[in-house]
Amino acid sequence: MTGPVRPDDLPDPLPGPAAPELRANPPQRALRLHRELTRVWSDAPGFYGWLASVNHTSIGRRFMATACFFFAIGGVLSMLIRAQLATPRGAFLDSALYNQIFTMHGSIMMFLFAIPMLEGLALWLLPKILGARDMAFPRLSALGYWCYLFGGTIILISLLAGVAPDGGWFMYVPLSDKTHTPGINADVWLLGITFVEISAVAAAVEITVTILRCRAAGMALTRMPLMGWYLLGTSGMMLVGFPPLILGSILLEVERAFGWPFFDVARGGDPLLWQHLFWLFGHPEVYIIFLPAAGALSTIIPVLCRTTILGYSAIVAAILGLVFLSFGLWVHHMFTVGIPHMALGFFSAASALVAVPTAVQVFAWIGTIRQGRPQLHLPMLYVLGFFLTFVMGGLTGVMLAIVPFNWQAHDTAFVTAHLHYVLIGGFVFPMMAALTYWMPLLSGRERIPRLGEAAFWLILIGFHGTFFIMHLTGLLGMPRRIDIYPDNPEWVLPNLISSIFGMVLSIGFALFAFDLALQWIFGARSRRNPWQAPTLDWAMPLPAPAYNFASLPLPGRDDAGAILALARGEGILPGAPRGWREVLVVEPGSGAPQHIAVLPGNTLLPLATAATIGSFFLLMLAGLYALTPLALIAIVLVGWRWGAFMGCRQDPAPVKAAPGLVLPLHWTCRATLAHAGAVATLVADGALYACLLFGVGFLSVVAPQWPAPQSGLGTALTLLLALPCLLALGLASLAARRTEALRAEAAGRRWALTGVLAGLVALVALAGLALMLDDPRRHARDALRGVLLGFALFHVALALIFAWRTWCDLRDGRMGPARRGAAPVWRLWQDFALATSLVSALLVIGQEVL
Amino acid sequence: MLAGAAALTLFVLVLLAFSWGRSGQEAATGRVWTLGLGLGLTLPVLAALVGYGFWVGERILPRDDGALRVTATARQWGWQFTQPGPDGRPVTTENVLYVPAGQPFDIEITATDVIHSFWVPRLGGKMDAVPGRINVARLTAGTPGELEGLCAEFCGLGHSAMRFSVIVYEPGAFPEIDQTATAAGRDGAEAP
Amino acid sequence: MGWLFRVLAGPMLWAILFAAVYALHGIGCARGWPAIATPLGNLHLVAMALLWLTGLALHVLILLRLPQGTARAEHLPRLGAGIGLVATLLTLSPVILISTCG
Repeated sequence: MTGPVRPDDLPDPLPGPAAPELRANPPQRALRLHRELTRVWSDAPGFYGWLASVNHTSIGRRFMATACFFFAIGGVLSMLIRAQLATPRGAFLDSALYNQIFTMHGSIMMFLFAIPMLEGLALWLLPKILGARDMAFPRLSALGYWCYLFGGTIILISLLAGVAPDGGWFMYVPLSDKTHTPGINADVWLLGITFVEISAVAAAVEITVTILRCRAAGMALTRMPLMGWYLLGTSGMMLVGFPPLILGSILLEVERAFGWPFFDVARGGDPLLWQHLFWLFGHPEVYIIFLPAAGALSTIIPVLCRTTILGYSAIVAAILGLVFLSFGLWVHHMFTVGIPHMALGFFSAASALVAVPTAVQVFAWIGTIRQGRPQLHLPMLYVLGFFLTFVMGGLTGVMLAIVPFNWQAHDTAFVTAHLHYVLIGGFVFPMMAALTYWMPLLSGRERIPRLGEAAFWLILIGFHGTFFIMHLTGLLGMPRRIDIYPDNPEWVLPNLISSIFGMVLSIGFALFAFDLALQWIFGARSRRNPWQAPTLDWAMPLPAPAYNFASLPLPGRDDAGAILALARGEGILPGAPRGWREVLVVEPGSGAPQHIAVLPGNTLLPLATAATIGSFFLLMLAGLYALTPLALIAIVLVGWRWGAFMGCRQDPAPVKAAPGLVLPLHWTCRATLAHAGAVATLVADGALYACLLFGVGFLSVVAPQWPAPQSGLGTALTLLLALPCLLALGLASLAARRTEALRAEAAGRRWALTGVLAGLVALVALAGLALMLDDPRRHARDALRGVLLGFALFHVALALIFAWRTWCDLRDGRMGPARRGAAPVWRLWQDFALATSLVSALLVIGQEVL
Repeated sequence: MLAGAAALTLFVLVLLAFSWGRSGQEAATGRVWTLGLGLGLTLPVLAALVGYGFWVGERILPRDDGALRVTATARQWGWQFTQPGPDGRPVTTENVLYVPAGQPFDIEITATDVIHSFWVPRLGGKMDAVPGRINVARLTAGTPGELEGLCAEFCGLGHSAMRFSVIVYEPGAFPEIDQTATAAGRDGAEAP
Repeated sequence: MGWLFRVLAGPMLWAILFAAVYALHGIGCARGWPAIATPLGNLHLVAMALLWLTGLALHVLILLRLPQGTARAEHLPRLGAGIGLVATLLTLSPVILISTCG
């Protein structure tokens, strides 16, 4: 075996705590280590094991397989659409069914295929490529999967029952409000997709924390594999990008269920608020999908060209540019809604500018190909397919960024063509490259020759045959989402051509799936590291074992060449001598080892939690709103049990991870993974709150039917309730600090109890305020105040639960001089509740005074 | 713009083929690719394009210059237009819009129920009809004749059939309004 | 973590400016600021342009205050600052190029 390619430009490590000089552990018998680790890390046997698994390899594989299943469903729906459009008077589907089918095609491909697919790839790959044994929050991985599966199932069942969403995948109001869609269809979308998005936010929190804290020792951010940077960008975008959609869905569902008018023009709402919230999610979403795919390209291209990537720093900068700029383009989906030209100008310029980082990457990849010796393996074919397709899609995207052209092409088949070029070119082709590239690691087998190439050509020809001509169809004036076009003979031929090639495309995808199945079942055993790749994901036996690495890489030796030393236990933390799932936690920037985290093992808790959350969504869907508090109580009861794992009653002894490296266990540390996860969750929560503030600002400035009618809130009684509420919240924040500081003394308990009582007082005061609100159905201002109050209630209640948890931790001896229990996380949530409530109060006072 | 896009696509693909064929030669410096091509090529092209877009966009903005004004009101699933009639007084029509040739006109677009979108492909431009607000587009019809118009924003069951026509007449020669056509709409316009 | 924030400083400033100028634009159009004259021009234009120029100055300040060096750990923060500067310069240029509320 020739040595894998080594990066020739090892950069200087980040400034930070100097990594101690680490020596290797003594070698052990690899087989003994393997058995020991397998016993601790693998899923339990049988069906129970499948339900209770929290292992990232199992969950990641499951995510990807389920996503492929939904891709197949979405593909079948697309064939129905093409069949309908093949002739101008297609009688194949009636309009009602056609509307459901194109809505479901878009929704499934976006929310049930693309996002879960990238989550699955990230969950499966990240620990392997970063040199870790699992994701930071294994139970959260499993919870995300079950939420995805249950939510997707609800949506799928609605299709079978004939009550699927039918308002288009972006669900514009007023078409999707209660007046114009009286049925359950829109509720299925809003509730089902929000249920699924729980998994997206969970994955975003988990990916962020894993990349920042669970890398190999000494792997500074500046020399992390590019895939890490890409997924860090993705997860950061998901943390900020999904909350607008979740908020929009909540608002629309509340409008539909209870008549609160956020989007109803007559009562101070504005349908454009929905468009803003939707596209504030929707455009970053495109880059959320593209970044992991580009990460796969940046990983695969240098390996298959036997070289290193060109311009590491430039690519990281390009990722940075994409992550931020993509939040400044959302209005380009709204160029025709009547926004002033200057505002369009901002977004038009940002839309064009976002092409620059993309171009930097494309040229870096071509330069990499030039500097290396490219080999035409199957993944490389898909890479070339990506180049051909994505460059065209990107350029039509630039064309659409130009306002006058957009006014002509918007909502036509031209846009349909563009988005398929970008999404299939920029996501599906790279994902197929990634699947074929990592298949040996997934299945442990080599592929069957030639079948994959045939699938590739069918897909490439089918794709361009279908969608290239659609640009023309659009320029000929064919709008999106029509089912018949009897008066337009000029659209007949291009549509027929698209339909014929669409079937070729579908056959290609079917052949691709067939090829993967054959490889999994009949392929010959693959040798280790078949591509001679340099990254850590190949420094393990094939298929990947449940624990990934028998010992974790030493600083500076985190490449595929370390495979044997790692298997012999010469790295950090060899085996599982304590019978625990142990992982290394590092400093975010430099990668210096900080402590050892013990991860939870197999458990049914995630499944039970997802089931209780699902019961809440089903009750909402059924309109049984009075029963939903039961579901909420069930969620709290199940959620309470998640904390049981997170404490211990004695100070555990530090662990010798390698000669010269003794690390504490996470129970005795403050900056734990859980703490980082809470911070990441609060970032998403803060984004949701910011979107809510945007909604208030937007409606008060832009919506017709403002100013709102006289409010009944401007009384002394209001202040009499609001002031104690804020004071109680401030006291609770103080209590959280004092409790943590005095955790070893008797005063700590008193402070914790003070925090609980203060939270209760705040809750009662908020309830009093709720009684004084004007009828939220009267005007959007009152409805938004109701939501602000609901937000405060939710967070005060959550902080109260953490306070109660902290008190229980103290009572049960789970806190001590070194152990902090739930106190640090309580403090985070308590401060967030205080800050947001204060801002909300100031906002309402401002509305009353101004 | 189409030709430019095609040329750039071709350029990238030729560059790719060239790199493939001549690969393994000297290690090119990263800056040539990322800075030279990634920034040097794209930024000027994009800046020029966006600048041109701003200029055209400014030119076609509606202004207060006393141009002819017509209105369009969309509903599920049909259009109501008002325009100056033969005697200059406003006339209301269903699914047919009458405008003079060669004169810029402003069209005020709104909707009564859900969001629709006014689009006459041959006139260019497109403007959404949003309940509660009035959007104005400036359009100019070139020569007399009949143009097809349609609803470009998905608006429910009758979306495909929500068509209308634009009759462009010689200034001063207002055609006879066909009341039968306008009352019933075009075939299918009142469909489910 | 501090290092990561230095990398993000420029783009974050862009995001704040972009949101602020967009908000100013919306508020100004709703409140009729274009009709209010100031010595420098109408209030709307002046408010947005001043914010834009202040922001650009801050961007340059960030760029100047970052340590020089060719190592990746020093190079990346400067690239981030440069991205922020270019983004603010270009995406907010309509402030002086395009008519405000038409």
